[in-house]
Amino acid sequence: MPGKTPDKEPVENGGYRGGKDIADKDLKPKGKKASKKDDDDEMTVVVPPSKTQKQSSAPLPNDAEGDVTMDDAEGEPKADPVAQTINDIKSDFAHLDRAVALFDARFTLRALRSISSIRKRLTPDILAQVIAETYTPSSAGAPFAKQMLQAIGRPDVSLGRQPGQEMEIDSEPKAAGKNGAKKETKEAIPEVDVFLGILTQVLLHDAKQVRRGFEFSQVLVERIRSLNRRTLDSLAAKVYFYYSLFAEQTTPVPPSPQSPVVSIRPTLLAALRTAVLRKDIDTQAAVIVLLLRNYLSTSHISQADLLVSHTQFPENAANNQVARFLYYLGRTRAIQLRYTEAHEHLTAATRKAPSSACALGFSQTATKLLLVVELLMGDIPDRATFRQPTMETALHPYFLLVQAVRVGNLEDFETIIADHADTFRRDGTYTLILRLRQNVIKTGIRMMSLSYSRISLRDICIRLHLGSEETAEYIVAKAIRDGVIEATLDREKGFMKSKEVGDVYATREPGEAFHDRIRACLALHDESVKAMRFPMNQHRLELKNAQEAREREREMAKEIQEGELDEDDLGGDFDAM
Amino acid sequence: MADRELTTLLTRLKSTPTLPYAETTSLLSRAKLLLLKLNALTPSPTTPPNLLTLARDIYEQGALGSIRARDAAAFTRYVAQLRPFYELQRYSPNNKDGGERNKITGLYLLLLLTQGLYAEFHSELEALSGEGGLDEVEGDRYLGYPIRLERWLMEGSYDRVWKAMKRGEVPCEEFGVFSEILTSQIRSEIASSSERAYPSLPLASTKSLLFLDSEGAVVEFARARGWTVRDGTIYFPDTSGTSAAGETAEKEKELSLMVIENTLGPYYF
Repeated sequence: MPGKTPDKEPVENGGYRGGKDIADKDLKPKGKKASKKDDDDEMTVVVPPSKTQKQSSAPLPNDAEGDVTMDDAEGEPKADPVAQTINDIKSDFAHLDRAVALFDARFTLRALRSISSIRKRLTPDILAQVIAETYTPSSAGAPFAKQMLQAIGRPDVSLGRQPGQEMEIDSEPKAAGKNGAKKETKEAIPEVDVFLGILTQVLLHDAKQVRRGFEFSQVLVERIRSLNRRTLDSLAAKVYFYYSLFAEQTTPVPPSPQSPVVSIRPTLLAALRTAVLRKDIDTQAAVIVLLLRNYLSTSHISQADLLVSHTQFPENAANNQVARFLYYLGRTRAIQLRYTEAHEHLTAATRKAPSSACALGFSQTATKLLLVVELLMGDIPDRATFRQPTMETALHPYFLLVQAVRVGNLEDFETIIADHADTFRRDGTYTLILRLRQNVIKTGIRMMSLSYSRISLRDICIRLHLGSEETAEYIVAKAIRDGVIEATLDREKGFMKSKEVGDVYATREPGEAFHDRIRACLALHDESVKAMRFPMNQHRLELKNAQEAREREREMAKEIQEGELDEDDLGGDFDAM
Repeated sequence: MADRELTTLLTRLKSTPTLPYAETTSLLSRAKLLLLKLNALTPSPTTPPNLLTLARDIYEQGALGSIRARDAAAFTRYVAQLRPFYELQRYSPNNKDGGERNKITGLYLLLLLTQGLYAEFHSELEALSGEGGLDEVEGDRYLGYPIRLERWLMEGSYDRVWKAMKRGEVPCEEFGVFSEILTSQIRSEIASSSERAYPSLPLASTKSLLFLDSEGAVVEFARARGWTVRDGTIYFPDTSGTSAAGETAEKEKELSLMVIENTLGPYYF
């Protein structure tokens, strides 16, 4: 296996060594540095469409993504995108092969990561061609391959086709020969089946063929369940993700109880059970998150709560899954009025959210919820949150809301709710925001208690637009009991008298806030230490070195004894021997 | 055969709501046995619609009956049993008859409210607002009532709660069952806020404050809560002053313990 590595490199590098000429006008270097995809060192080259007839159906790579590596673009001839995409997919097969051979999930992850770049160029024809070249009619995966072809709407493509004409011209003869040879000698491993399945899902999803995608996903999930291979784990997680995504988009969409999301629950739960038994962390984390999302989409809060209390979210799950899990957990807790916990989870979720632009939606949603929870807890969110350029517009309604709550203006509050009801409903924060009414009243009372040493209940009633003085009296009394304000009421004369406000620094509050921060820092430190990776078997290497050293010493000692070596030749500390 | 018998049972249950609870339960258990024979005790998509409606009506009668008999546990059980029926029927196109769904759900919400199960209350509310708009839910006669009560209770507008329970505002007689519990609940809420908010209160205004009928009742209530009544005025025990000495010492100790823990905690525990 390791021997393959050198010849595989060109394929990995996006096949820009491929031999086909492309007219200069098509090159159009964008003058941008190629974007680095995740941790991969390879530069992905996306070439603008050329003249092959396949292009008619290919989605045009938009200009922002049409990065061309400058150094290579000038002299070297270009491969056309179809062949190159095919090469990219095939290079992922090699990754998968290596993942299985070395039993290292990192290669599988690398293959999965490349999906996002392949995705933009993927067409049914490309995929059909890859499938046709990967399977022979007699191979074990052939029925499955047929199903894939069916799903992408190319049922008449016959299997076992040798690498197509373009392929042979395009790519370096050696690479093509190697690919061809490999196929003849070797059956496609299940990982490749599933990987192609995922590509099919992606393709159907991008083409908005939801129902067909859902049906195909069911087949794919069945296939995954029949296989028991640890190297499939991270692929399986992806498959379940798309499976549930399709279910969500199939009409009737949630929250209708007839939506397919309800019907896929047993499958997901079974997958979770299997994943736990097999210690399959990837699938376990993914499926728990999917189930939570599923329950929340139909507002089954108690089920979501039960799921959380009966499962244990894997500790070393992928960061993104942890962030999602924390978000859904925070949401559940917020609905259950457990604001402190909700706040904790949501803060962690926003911090763990990837900072790249592709996850902006998640950060926004989580931040919105976090803001509402903070308000419900009686805190006023930081002004800086609203100033972040990526969030500013999305958070605007919430900004207005915070302003109303901060001032304690009930009238403003009601108008903002009415004006932005649709936004809040879409964000799923509407019911939570309705609960804020009492906070607005409390803040209003607190503001008044701070500004006046004595104020009549009638004035309070007018300022806060409460129904009657009686109502005002009850509300103020409750606020006093809840510790919102320090004041006393006088019933006969009908006023509220504020007590002097104490010094915050005399209380334990600053100490607690300080301690909280220290704890957060220490937790971060611990997590960072845990997240570090160490090369496998490194210690054995050291052991081996030590053994060799000992061996040498022994030899020397022997030589000394035999008098062949002078003691002076050696270091002084050798006396100890 | 069996379903005809069920229908007669159901009409008997419906026509005589004043039936003693023991009798109702015996009728209900007979009905449930019949349902079991018809394989309709738990609903499934294949159950014929008329049987589904019949079974649902039986359970609804059971739920209402148990509320009248103030049997909260039985009511909760019936609500749980009814839920799949509602889920099945709501989205079947040829069924316009929703049964007493809103009434039962409203009663259930009120029950959760009186038991102080706010988390469940809000989960239920979230589920309701998830399917239809929240405005629609609030506008409903049965569902809007507990939602409004909850909001007022949280806010502290106890007089509104009181008015809602008194002046024929109660949507139907079953809801009245909870009034008693709610009254004592808000009374103790008011009492505990008054203890902190007022230094003293005249008996007469306490009467109106606590919605009690006579001054004698006020004195009794004051005694039960340990308030001192002198010259027609109630003096609340000074909660902050009484055990001050002991408490401060306790606090001091707690504070120093906390400081030690916070300083050493991260390194030694």
